[in-house]
Amino acid sequence: MYHRVAVIKKGWVLLALLCFPVFLATTTLAQAPADPALVAHPVGQVDLRVDHSTPEQRMLDIGLAIFSPGIPLNEASHSMLGIFPEIRKAEAQFMPVLLRQVLLTANAWGVVRVLPDEQIISELLVTGKIRQSNGSRLELAIKAMDATGRQWLDKTYVDEASPLDYPVTEGSDPYIDLYRQIANDLLEYRQGLDERQLGAIRQVAFLRYAASLSEEAFGGYLQQDEQGIYSVVRLPADGDPMIARVERIRDQEHLFVDTVDEQYVDLFNEMVATYSLWREYSREQAIYKEDYQQRAQTKERIGRRGTFSAMEQTYNTYKQTKIQEQDLDEMATGFNNEVAPTVMESSGRVFRLSGNLNSQYNEWRGILREIFELETGLPAGS
Amino acid sequence: MIVYIRYISTPVLAGVLCLCLASCSSEPEKSAPVPNRTDHAVDFSGFWELDYGQSDNIQVNLNGLVRDVKKTNRARAQSSGVYQQAGGGMMVGGTTNSGASVIGLAQMADLVTKSQLMEIEQDEHHIKVKREEDFALTCEFYLGQYHTVETPLGKEMCGWNRHQMIFKMVLPEGLTIQHIMSLGPEGQRLNVATTVTSDQVTSPFTVDRVYSRYEPSDDGYSCKMTISRGRVCTTESQ
Repeated sequence: MYHRVAVIKKGWVLLALLCFPVFLATTTLAQAPADPALVAHPVGQVDLRVDHSTPEQRMLDIGLAIFSPGIPLNEASHSMLGIFPEIRKAEAQFMPVLLRQVLLTANAWGVVRVLPDEQIISELLVTGKIRQSNGSRLELAIKAMDATGRQWLDKTYVDEASPLDYPVTEGSDPYIDLYRQIANDLLEYRQGLDERQLGAIRQVAFLRYAASLSEEAFGGYLQQDEQGIYSVVRLPADGDPMIARVERIRDQEHLFVDTVDEQYVDLFNEMVATYSLWREYSREQAIYKEDYQQRAQTKERIGRRGTFSAMEQTYNTYKQTKIQEQDLDEMATGFNNEVAPTVMESSGRVFRLSGNLNSQYNEWRGILREIFELETGLPAGS
Repeated sequence: MIVYIRYISTPVLAGVLCLCLASCSSEPEKSAPVPNRTDHAVDFSGFWELDYGQSDNIQVNLNGLVRDVKKTNRARAQSSGVYQQAGGGMMVGGTTNSGASVIGLAQMADLVTKSQLMEIEQDEHHIKVKREEDFALTCEFYLGQYHTVETPLGKEMCGWNRHQMIFKMVLPEGLTIQHIMSLGPEGQRLNVATTVTSDQVTSPFTVDRVYSRYEPSDDGYSCKMTISRGRVCTTESQ
C-alpha cells in the first residue's frame, strides 16, 4: 500500500514537472494579448485642429527623426509577420514626411524638419517606431520630447483603413487620421505650456547645441536635474561673439538638414503613388484570403476545379501578386541607393558629401565642428 | 493492452495528454528542417537561355501521363467492378482524371515553364531567379533548413536538397508547382525539373527544361515590370 502511494506520488510529481513548463508557456501565450486597458484603440475619424492665431513666440521648431522600421532581427519571422524589410525601411522615411505635412497644415509650429538622426538637438523632437503597417492597419509608437527633456508624448497610435480609403486620392492617405491625432495631441500639450516654459525650451535647445560644439565654453550655462531635465543656469552676455559663431554654425547645419529634407520629400513624392497601390493591394490580399477561406468552407467554387482555365486563373493571380510585390521590394531597395550626393558650401569652401543621408549628415557635422574649432581655438564637443 | 493502460498511473496518462495538447496548441507551423549534412549551395548565378533540343517535349510527356492515368483508372474500375469502356476512357466515376483535368495539367506545365530566358542572382544566403514573362523565384536559404513563406494566395517552400535547389508553391484549388534546379557538368547547363500536381489528377506531370549559359548582348535597352507604369523599358549606355 505504502509502495503504491509512493508510485502515485512520484507520478504526480512527474506530471507536475512535465506540465509546469507547458502551463508556463501556454499561460505566457495566453497573456500575450496585453491588458485590454493598455491595448491601443483605433483613432477613428479625426479632424485636424488648425491654429489660426499662434503668436510666433509660441511656435517651436520640430525635428521629426526618421522612424525606426521595427524590423525584427530574426529574419525567419519576417514572412510570418508579413514584413517586407525594404518596404519597412522606405516607410520609415515616408511616414515622418507625411506627419510633417500634417503638422505644417496645423499652422501651429515653426520649422518642421525631417531628420536623418534622432541625435540632432531640436526644440521638440518626435521619434517613432513602426509596429505594424499594411493595407489594413497602421500602428505607430510615438514619443515626443522637448529640448529640456520633458516628455510630451509616449503613446501608441492605431488606425484602420476602410474600403472608402481606397483607391488613395492624391494628397490623402488611408491613415491620415492617425497623423492628425498625433498633431492634435502635440498641439494640446503645447497649449498647456506658458510663455516662460516655451522660451526656456528654445534657450535650452540653443545652449545644448552650443555645448555640443564646445562643452568647455558652453557646458556651464546648463544644469541637469536627477530626472534628466535641463535648465538654464545663466545666459551668455548680449553681443557675445561666440554666440554669433554658434548661430552661424547652427544655420549651416540647418541648411544641410533642409537640403536633406528636400531629398526626403522627393523620395516621398516618388514613392507615394506606388506605395498607395501596394497598400491597397495588400488590403485586397487580406480580404481575398478571408473570402477564399469562407468559400472553401462553403464548398463554393469558381469554375470547375482542375481544368486549365481554373488553374491558369489561380496561377495568374499568384503571379500578379508576386510581380507587384517584387517590383515594390525592388523599388524600395533602390531608395537607399538613389540618394544623391549633397554639395554644401561653408566658409568659402565647397564640400561634396556622399553615402546615405545619415552618413552625409555625420560627415557634414564633423566638418562644421572642425570649422568651429579652427575659428575659436576651442576643443570641439561631441 | 487495456490491462497495460490500467496499470499506467492516472498522472502519467494526464501528463501524456497534457503534452499532446501542448503539441496540438496554436503554435504556428514552422519550416521543417532538413537535416541533410551533404547539402551545399551551388552557384547558379548568370544568364541562361532555354535549349529546346535538350528539353522535354510536352506532347511526349502528356502521352506518358495519359498512359499512367489510364492504368490507374483500369485498376480502379477493376477493384470497384465498374464497366470499363473499350479503349480505356479516362473518366471513371467521381471527378478526378477527367480528360480536361489531365490535359489541363499538361497545359499548366507548359505555362509555368515557358520562360526562355532567366537571370540568376545569388549570394551566400539568397537566390533570385528572374524569369522572362514570369515572376522571380526567390529563396533565402540556410543549409539544413527549408524556408517557408505564407501569403494569402499560397505557400512557398524553398531550400537545398544536396546540390539541388527546390522551389515549391502550394496554391489554392489543389494546385502545386515544384521546380528543382540542378547544375550540369562544368556548370554550363542548368536543368529545371518542373512538376505540376493537381488534386484532380492522380499522377503528377513533370517537364524537364534545360538551359544553357549565354552572355547577354548589348541591345541598348532593358525592361522591367512596374506597378504604376507596367512594363518600362529604358535605354542604357554601356
